[in-house]
Amino acid sequence: MAELTDASVPKFAAGCRWGGTTDAPVVLFPEGAIRLGGTGRIILELCDGHFSLAEIVQRLEEQFILAPKGNIRAEVQVFLEQLHAKRIIDY
Amino acid sequence: MTKCSNPLALIAEITHRCPLHCVYCSNPLELTSRKEELATADWLRVFREAAALGVLHLHLTGGEPLARPDLVEMIAGARQSRLYTNLITSGIGLSRERLAQLVEAGLDHIQLSFQDSTEGHANWIAGARAHAHKLELAAWIREHQTHDHRLAFTVNLVVHRQNIDHLEEMVTALEALHPDRMEIAHAQYYGWALQNRSALLPTRAQLDRAVAVVAAAEERLRGKVRIDMVVPDYHARFPKACMGGWGRQLLLIDPAGRALPCHAAGVIPGMRFDNVREHTLDWIWQNSEAFQKFRGEDWMPEPCRSCDRRKEDFGGCRCQAFLLTGDAGATDPVCELAPLHHLIEEAVREDAVTGLTPEIHEAPFHILREKMGGFWSYRTDPK
Repeated sequence: MAELTDASVPKFAAGCRWGGTTDAPVVLFPEGAIRLGGTGRIILELCDGHFSLAEIVQRLEEQFILAPKGNIRAEVQVFLEQLHAKRIIDY
Repeated sequence: MTKCSNPLALIAEITHRCPLHCVYCSNPLELTSRKEELATADWLRVFREAAALGVLHLHLTGGEPLARPDLVEMIAGARQSRLYTNLITSGIGLSRERLAQLVEAGLDHIQLSFQDSTEGHANWIAGARAHAHKLELAAWIREHQTHDHRLAFTVNLVVHRQNIDHLEEMVTALEALHPDRMEIAHAQYYGWALQNRSALLPTRAQLDRAVAVVAAAEERLRGKVRIDMVVPDYHARFPKACMGGWGRQLLLIDPAGRALPCHAAGVIPGMRFDNVREHTLDWIWQNSEAFQKFRGEDWMPEPCRSCDRRKEDFGGCRCQAFLLTGDAGATDPVCELAPLHHLIEEAVREDAVTGLTPEIHEAPFHILREKMGGFWSYRTDPK
């Protein structure tokens, strides 16, 4: 499995995209869909091919000032690695 | 009336015509003819109604969906209705130009079938010279992925006794095509596949080896290729959750516009299927007698009715229950708790252990077809 580093730029894999409605967005992929609210949605909205992992983590840290710093990095990493294994996110 | 949630996926069998004649095809033996097929405008309305009903995924299948000359228009219409579009295809009838048109129209995902690892044998199973074109097509799909980052790519492999021992070679051959996903689906015994079951059902030992091959491939390809395996239910202890439960998540429209809860439901006698030419999809989903028939748990016999697994497998497959026991309301005989489970035990014993295996495996297509024509029935094409 490809290694996710600070410099990696996560983005949707080919053929995976947002769908549903603005109020209830879903991530669509070949054989399924994930309904995402809260943090998951915020993270994936940053996975548009413009931000590196370090930049995504930095933005989240700014947004969630109260969260312990190392935790955000670790949680984002696990989340993106899971989606990578499902071939939804590339980096 | 059992209360229902909205469907999540629509399976559109847009035609039964197909240039392949695969021996494992699960299409019904009585195929819908071309002149009965729904018109483009009908399909586009069905797609709009499906999206309004909450459907997210549209699976375009057949037969061979590419046999419809209006496929580009259908995909554009489906995307306009905000559906995720999946094309399930043999690839025959897809030129590089037409593929580009489909992608331009908004095709999200293409699922390309393969029959075996080598050309002669693959063509023998398909009953057509198809393998070489599939390889060429895979390269064009790859171009769309690398150049414009579009189109998810799944390779689909239907596995049965005649190719299961080549599974490792098949995985290696298909891996070289750079798919995102590999679907390794054991044949399901409906339609033509049921007719050919004695030549297709693998032995337990073959299955165990195949499971080990898939597990090793999953480990090796993690993060590169996602592998999904559909296990052969004849060798399982419990039935599959067919269609995610009857009238619960999916609906299928056949080429003539009939709405079915499952692609094989047409075999069940006495069922009345409403047609999208006469009713809206919403009305059909809520009210059609066929969708009500086995929705929920009221229809369940014992041992399903009091079984903890009924919320996982929904009593298994109604069509299979009918095909094997003559009663669509019986517990799926695949279940080891089913009163008629011996039917499966006998099939596995008789078909798989003493069944036929041809002696030649690798020869030019015309020789295989000539020598082994009587070995199984190729799926025909509708008139």
